Amino acid sequence: MSTVSWITARGLFGRRRFLLLLPLPLLLVGLAVLCRALDVQPADWGPPVLVGLGLAVVLPVVALVIGTGVLGAEIDDGTVVHILTKPLPRWQIVLPKLAVATGVTAATVAVPLLVAGVLADSVRLGLGLAVAAALGALAYSALFLALCLLTRRPVLLGLAYVLIWEGLLGNFIDGTKVLSIQQWVIAIADRVAPTDLLTGSVSVPVAAVLTALVSVGFTVLAIDRLRSFSVAGETS
Amino acid sequence: MSEPTGVIHDIGYQRYTGPRLGRGHVFGALYLHGVRTAFGLGRSAKAKIFPWLVVGVLTVVAAGATAVRAQFGQVVMTYAQFADAMAWLVIFFVAVAAPELVSRDLRSGVLPLYFSRPLPRGDYALAKLAALVTALWLLLGGPQLLMFLGAAFSTGDGMRGVWNELLDLLPGLLYAGLWAVVFASIGLLVASLTGKRAFAAGGIVAVFLMTTPIVGTLSIMPSATVNQLAFLASPSTLVGAVGSWALGDLLVPEGQRGGTMPIGGFGPLYAVAAAVLVAGCVTLLLLRYRKVAAR
Repeated sequence: MSTVSWITARGLFGRRRFLLLLPLPLLLVGLAVLCRALDVQPADWGPPVLVGLGLAVVLPVVALVIGTGVLGAEIDDGTVVHILTKPLPRWQIVLPKLAVATGVTAATVAVPLLVAGVLADSVRLGLGLAVAAALGALAYSALFLALCLLTRRPVLLGLAYVLIWEGLLGNFIDGTKVLSIQQWVIAIADRVAPTDLLTGSVSVPVAAVLTALVSVGFTVLAIDRLRSFSVAGETS
Repeated sequence: MSEPTGVIHDIGYQRYTGPRLGRGHVFGALYLHGVRTAFGLGRSAKAKIFPWLVVGVLTVVAAGATAVRAQFGQVVMTYAQFADAMAWLVIFFVAVAAPELVSRDLRSGVLPLYFSRPLPRGDYALAKLAALVTALWLLLGGPQLLMFLGAAFSTGDGMRGVWNELLDLLPGLLYAGLWAVVFASIGLLVASLTGKRAFAAGGIVAVFLMTTPIVGTLSIMPSATVNQLAFLASPSTLVGAVGSWALGDLLVPEGQRGGTMPIGGFGPLYAVAAAVLVAGCVTLLLLRYRKVAAR
């Protein structure tokens, strides 16, 4: 484990900050257990809990907070200079941070989704959701990490993407679904564990290729941006 | 003893002896500054991007609905349905504006400067809250006014048509005010907990978004009472339920798609819940500002 990833992990978890990550996954598991205990049909509670809460809210929001936290927080308070002045190639800074962000996001989201999936249908659905959520965590983290370096307001831009592009436009205009990470995740989960609970609107090969493309593309972009990065104060 | 060598020059320092504006003026100035901050007025172009993006989208939607109505005579959405349909954008606006209002002051440590004026701590919080409420109400009310103007100018019944349209608009504006009060009090409370704008924005969105699926889950529970009470779980459905109870037919005319929410006979309970929610958030906000900024 490199020093950069160690520093990043400590920045995320230090001072009991990890407690802030707990409510969302706990809510997901809690609702699944509650529905299961009350014998509600999985066909009724599966879509709102697994997709509506898990894949559409918990995954992007956790990925946004963590993905911008690993780099954006250091840029905000200026301590990123300490890492940038070390004789490290830029990819040795971006890749560990991306790995930590992806790992933490995947662990925070995939575990409750696994539990909820098992409760809803089968172990296979749980595993499918967990795998898809982990891949989605990679794509989201790469996107939000690159946003930190492209703009001074990464969280708001990320929120605009999640809320307006995936949330609002995705409901009204079908075309935007092709370019939505959330739909790719659903498609992949549906491919791994075909059930009636998930209905993907994107074909699986397209989803897989685009997920890989976004993950690699935005990572390369982030490395490139960090090469010519200038540290400035907070925007007025 | 010789003459004293040192001399103190009078370089013209003067005390201010004019009238001093009191607490009310401080409150008013802070309120006005807050409303301007929410829309990024008087600040750099970068600070205007996100507020005006939201305003622009809402205006375009309202203009589109008005154009369809003027051309084809078909009511796409009523004033209340407009507020409901734009819920996600309102949440986004709160996530943009609330951290700008309070988190920046926390982070840059200027609160001691504010509180060294004749400004009680509660006034600071209330002025910011009033500013956010006003900004949200303007955000929803402006496009509604646009829709009203379009409908009024294209009505076929002369002044009677305009009057009927006005009677439709007023409950819509009242409903927009309800949205503004509930969302502003929750959003400002979350934002006042952290000095980091990024965390504040994420926290606000998390609070609003994670509650919506709870409603979806509760409304399929095998108990009619739980189903009718499910809308308590999320601020946006709470507002919708209170609106459909209190203003009912004024918001959505009979026979329109959607109709009112299935809340059974729990309407008064919803109104009380909304009042308690707002009062609780404001109380917590005041408590927060009693302690904060001691550093």
